[in-house]
Amino acid sequence: MRLSKAGVLGAGTAGKGVIRSLAGAGLSVVFCELSEEKVKQATREISEGLDREISRWDVTAGEKRLIVSRIVGTSDMRKMAGCQVVIETTSGDLEDKQKLFEELDALFPEDTVLISDCSTICISEIARKTRHPERVAGVHFSLPVHKRPIVELVRGRFTSDATMETVRRLAKLLKKKALEVLEMPGLVTTRVMIPYINEAMHIVMEGLVPPAEVDEAVRLGFKLPVGPLAMADKIGLDTLLKDMERLFKALGMFQYRPCPILRRLVRMGHLGVKTRQGFFNYDEDGNPTGGAINGF
Amino acid sequence: MKVLVLNCGSSSLKFQLIETDRHRIETESDEVMAEGQVEKIGQAESIITYSSAKGDKIKETAVVLEHSTAIEVLLQHLTHAKHGVIEKTADIEAVGHRVVHGGESFSESAVITAAVLDKIRECVALAPLHNPPNILGYEVASQLLPNTPHVAVFDTAFHQTMPPYAYLYALPYVLYERFAIRRYGFHGSSHRYVVQRLAKVAKTSLAGLRIITIHVGNGCSMAAVRDGKSVDTSMGMTPLEGLVMGTRAGDIDPAIILFLMEKEDLELDQANNLLNKHSGLLGISGIGNDMRELEKAAAEGHTRAQLAIEVFCYRIRKYIGAYTAALGGVDHIIFTAGIGQNSAQIRRKSCQGLEFLGIEFSEERNQALNRKEGLITTDDSRAKVWIIPTNEELVIARDTMLCVSNGGK
Repeated sequence: MRLSKAGVLGAGTAGKGVIRSLAGAGLSVVFCELSEEKVKQATREISEGLDREISRWDVTAGEKRLIVSRIVGTSDMRKMAGCQVVIETTSGDLEDKQKLFEELDALFPEDTVLISDCSTICISEIARKTRHPERVAGVHFSLPVHKRPIVELVRGRFTSDATMETVRRLAKLLKKKALEVLEMPGLVTTRVMIPYINEAMHIVMEGLVPPAEVDEAVRLGFKLPVGPLAMADKIGLDTLLKDMERLFKALGMFQYRPCPILRRLVRMGHLGVKTRQGFFNYDEDGNPTGGAINGF
Repeated sequence: MKVLVLNCGSSSLKFQLIETDRHRIETESDEVMAEGQVEKIGQAESIITYSSAKGDKIKETAVVLEHSTAIEVLLQHLTHAKHGVIEKTADIEAVGHRVVHGGESFSESAVITAAVLDKIRECVALAPLHNPPNILGYEVASQLLPNTPHVAVFDTAFHQTMPPYAYLYALPYVLYERFAIRRYGFHGSSHRYVVQRLAKVAKTSLAGLRIITIHVGNGCSMAAVRDGKSVDTSMGMTPLEGLVMGTRAGDIDPAIILFLMEKEDLELDQANNLLNKHSGLLGISGIGNDMRELEKAAAEGHTRAQLAIEVFCYRIRKYIGAYTAALGGVDHIIFTAGIGQNSAQIRRKSCQGLEFLGIEFSEERNQALNRKEGLITTDDSRAKVWIIPTNEELVIARDTMLCVSNGGK
């Protein structure tokens, strides 16, 4: 069976990236958000994201039209009928995801593969409450989804061979190298990246150098495209905090204990690019404006 | 001999079934028995078009997910009880495959053997977008027609007669040795066809003749041809170099890309897209890449459309001058392919100011012969300019027949 139609639950930062990537790979995509207002917002943001890609010579206007023509948004999960895979990208906790997957399990025929895009919540636990846990698997996309050439694939305790084969085919369709990782909190990328970002935050908290200089030192010193604090802002500081807390709880290792600065910024509502302020300030297109947090 | 010609792209497949033999080549009486294409392979709905010499015309949609299915569909149409042109697939006596890049390994068409296929695969590094679907087309067709000989006809082969001083770039020689970085040129079947056709329409031998061929269509390239052999061409290691094209830049200062990658923080694929998809006529005009659309806009006063056309034609003029120098003069210039055959304006502008080469352009003939074949300079013009419609499929069919016949070419 060739994959031609996919559903995406949630159209946040990761969700929009998954929607755009699937449509860019030629699939019809139905995405579902909580309300019609959120559907409209996500649709507009996907279009704006493609406009930014055009300005960066990534896609042409004709390619944007084709991608957009493949995407339909809805606030009614039932309108995802016919999707061969459904990828959940919401930001909830285990209980929230279990509830969602129970609903998906009831709604979709058992040959529909249900996937959770998450690196810090156990897929087996998500699948446990469904009637057909064998069709549940995990993936973890790196951001921005359409640019990163890798995806982590996770087989849960109940996941069948057939389900994993479908997930591998999906990764191939998206032209991503598929890294199959044992079901452990953080997988590879999140687990390696979080202590790196956390340490950068501690350096800022200790007052060694301002945030911009932390990023510059690491970026230039290691020839990286973006520094750790800018990366944190792109991921979303609330998402990062949740991931850190889960990993600290699961692994008990201190490098995952969230830096107090992170908690403070999230409490203040400064979540990074999505709120135009995190460690740095951003314009509405997500470009840095040169400002940064100042004092704690 | 009934030859099935296949031109496989990543999501499309064009085909013709051509009856050809040595006599038909001599008398130019090759017959296209049927032709068509399958578009949007792998997408939700593919489009299949088919037409036959008997007058049947079919257009339908179907789910065609793979190239194997596309070839099965075309074989079904060719053998159809009502609109087919052959009784059974075994009536196909040879299959000719367009293969874009033959590297330095192929200066002629070749019957595809395991060794030939290996060499074609080695050229994938030089043409990562084009050769893989060509190879796939062969693999699929050879499974469906296992007892039929298959021949590869290369876009690059005609230009393998270029001397080293024409094909080498002034880069460290070790890069040529390591990566085979050099000029290869493309549209070889087209350039070759129009040169050979010129000999027929002008009733002349090609010996001693200095010919400049101008293939301007979806892609654009020119060739300098002496004694019927290519001695230089405008496309390079890839189809990006040379003339201004629909969305390709053609010649630029290579430092511009390094400059932009630094200034705009571009990644490799963004730089690649910029050069291949956002540039050319589209880049300058801001409207589109279709010359018909640009000519209309220019006539309505759109200044950037006018500018795009000026840049396009000036680049051709420069190359005419350059190739005249390379050849030590010019006897014939041939316009071919979509724009070359269909745009009187482009032909006129591309030849403007070239009277010093002995070109006496006839605008009357230029208009009258639009979309036809013939001479568009005066009878007294020392250097002659022609429109000769191209026919790459015919070249592929003829080469295939000659390769599999006794004694080859």
